[in-house]
Amino acid sequence: MAWLALRRLGPALAPRCPRLSPQVPALRRLGTGSLLLSARKFTDKHEWISVENGIGTVGISNFAQEALGDVVYCSLPEIGTKLNKNDEFGALESVKAASELYSPLTGEVTDVNAALADNPGLVNKSCYQDGWLIKMTVEKPAELDELMSEDAYEKYIKSIED
Amino acid sequence: MVLQSSFKSCLPLSCLLRAPRAGFGGAASGGLIIQSVSNDVYQNLAVEDWIHDHMNLENRQVLFLWRNSPAVVIGRHQNPWQECDLHLMRQKNIKLARRRSGGGTVYHDLGNINLTFFTTRKKYERMENLKLVVKALKALRPQLDIHVTDRYDILLDGHYKISGTAAKLGRTTAYHHCTLLCNADKYVLSSVLKSPYKGLKSNATPSVPASVKNLFEEDPSLTCEMLLDAIAEEYATQHQIDHHITLINPNDETVLPGISDKSKELQTWDWVYGKTPKFSVSTCFNMVYKDSVLDVKVDMDVKHGRIEACDIDLPQQWLPPALCSELVKSLTGSKFCPNETTALSSTLLRTCPQDYELHSKWNLLCENMTMLM
Repeated sequence: MAWLALRRLGPALAPRCPRLSPQVPALRRLGTGSLLLSARKFTDKHEWISVENGIGTVGISNFAQEALGDVVYCSLPEIGTKLNKNDEFGALESVKAASELYSPLTGEVTDVNAALADNPGLVNKSCYQDGWLIKMTVEKPAELDELMSEDAYEKYIKSIED
Repeated sequence: MVLQSSFKSCLPLSCLLRAPRAGFGGAASGGLIIQSVSNDVYQNLAVEDWIHDHMNLENRQVLFLWRNSPAVVIGRHQNPWQECDLHLMRQKNIKLARRRSGGGTVYHDLGNINLTFFTTRKKYERMENLKLVVKALKALRPQLDIHVTDRYDILLDGHYKISGTAAKLGRTTAYHHCTLLCNADKYVLSSVLKSPYKGLKSNATPSVPASVKNLFEEDPSLTCEMLLDAIAEEYATQHQIDHHITLINPNDETVLPGISDKSKELQTWDWVYGKTPKFSVSTCFNMVYKDSVLDVKVDMDVKHGRIEACDIDLPQQWLPPALCSELVKSLTGSKFCPNETTALSSTLLRTCPQDYELHSKWNLLCENMTMLM
C-alpha cells in the first residue's frame, strides 16, 4: 500500500524557475498565482487543484486513487463551508480505510460533485475529470505558489515510492 | 499477565509518547504497548483519537489493546438504522458507537479483543499486523487453522471469520484496528446485527455479513488474557522492545489531556446518528384501531440525522387533517429520533381538545412513527 508517504518536498524538487537575465523581457513567464491559470497543482497529501476564473476545482491524484483502491463513499462538505489551507474537508472511504481530505487552499466551497453520491467509483475511474470532489474560491492566490507543479509532483511521488 | 508500568504514575503518557527515549527501562525507540483499563466503548475510541491526534509516531509505533462491554460499533459512513436493531439494543442496553475508521458494523463485548496498530501513514501496513496476530495465536496453539484473507479478515477453519479490520489514514498518522472474537455472545451478536428495517434507501457503506466463530469454541482452554499477552509478546519481539504492557485509564486527564472532550464528542447524537449519510425512508405499517386495520404510508428524507421532508399518508378523516399537517410540519427539521418525536407529538397533543378517541389515535400513530426511528 502506498498512499502513505508524507515526506516534505526536498529543495531539489522545488518547482524550477528558469533564470531570466535582466535584459530579456519576461514575455514567456506565467504568473503561477494567476487566477486564469488552469494547470493542475498538487499538495503533498495528494490533492490537486486547478483554478479557472477564480474558482478552484479539487480532486485527488491518480497516485492517490490507485493507492486507496475502490472508493465506496465520499464524505464532502456543504456548499458555503469556509476552509483554511490544510483544513480537513471530508473523507474518502475505500475498501476498509477512511482517508481524510485536506484543503489545498484557503477559500469557500462553492460546489460539490453530486455525481459521487451515487457513483463514488468516479474517483477511481476519472480522478482528474468526472471524479472531482469540490469547487472552491481562491482567497489567497499566493498559496497556489506553494503547491507543486505536475512535474514536481511526479518527482515527489518517485521520491516517496523508494 | 498484565504489567503495570512503573512510569505511569510519575510521567504523563504524552511525555513518554512524544519523547522516544524518555523511559521504559532504557528500551530503544520502536514500540509501545498499552492496554485500557476501561470497558467503555466511547472512552476507548477516544483513546484512539487522542493517540492519533497527539502522538508523534515518527520513531515509535503503538499497539493499543482494549475490550468493551456490549456495544455495536458502526463504520464512519454507515447508517445505524440499516445495520442494526436499534430497538433491541435500547432494550438490552447495548451501546451504539460510530468509529472514525471505515468499514462495516461489528458487535463488541468482553469476549472480543480489539487491537489498534498506530504508525505513521508511511508505515501503515495492515497485512503485517494481521500476520503478527496469526503468528502470536499459532505460537500459543500451533494446531489452530487460521489464515488472513485478501479482505484482511482472519478466518478459522477456512471459513469462519474471527477478526475484522478497519483503518483510518490521517494527516501524518494512521491506524489499523481489528477485532478478535474469543468468546463473544454469538446469539446477541447475530440478533443485534440484523436490521428489521424495510424501505430504507441510502448510499451509506453497507456491511458484508460473514459466518463467525469464537476462538474458544475451538480451544476452550484459551483465555482473553492469554491471547492479549501472546499478541503483546509477538509485537514486542518484532519491534525489539520490552514485553511490557502499560495500563492506561481513559478517564485520566492528567495522562491524556483533553480526552474527556473527545469521549463526549463520540457520544453525541450528532456524531453517532447525525453523521449518517443522507437517506430516505419509504415504508408502510399497519395500525389496529377498534377492530379495524389501517394502512399508513410514510415517506421521509433524512439528512444529517434530521428529517428534511416528511409525508404521512393516513386514511382520510381518521385524524383531523389540521392536526396531521401540524405533525408533519413539526417533524420536518427535527431529529430522526424516537425521544424527540415523542416529545414533539405530546406537545402538539396538548394544544388539542381533551377528546379520548383523538388522544388514543394520536398516541397510536406516534408510537408507530417512533418505531421507525
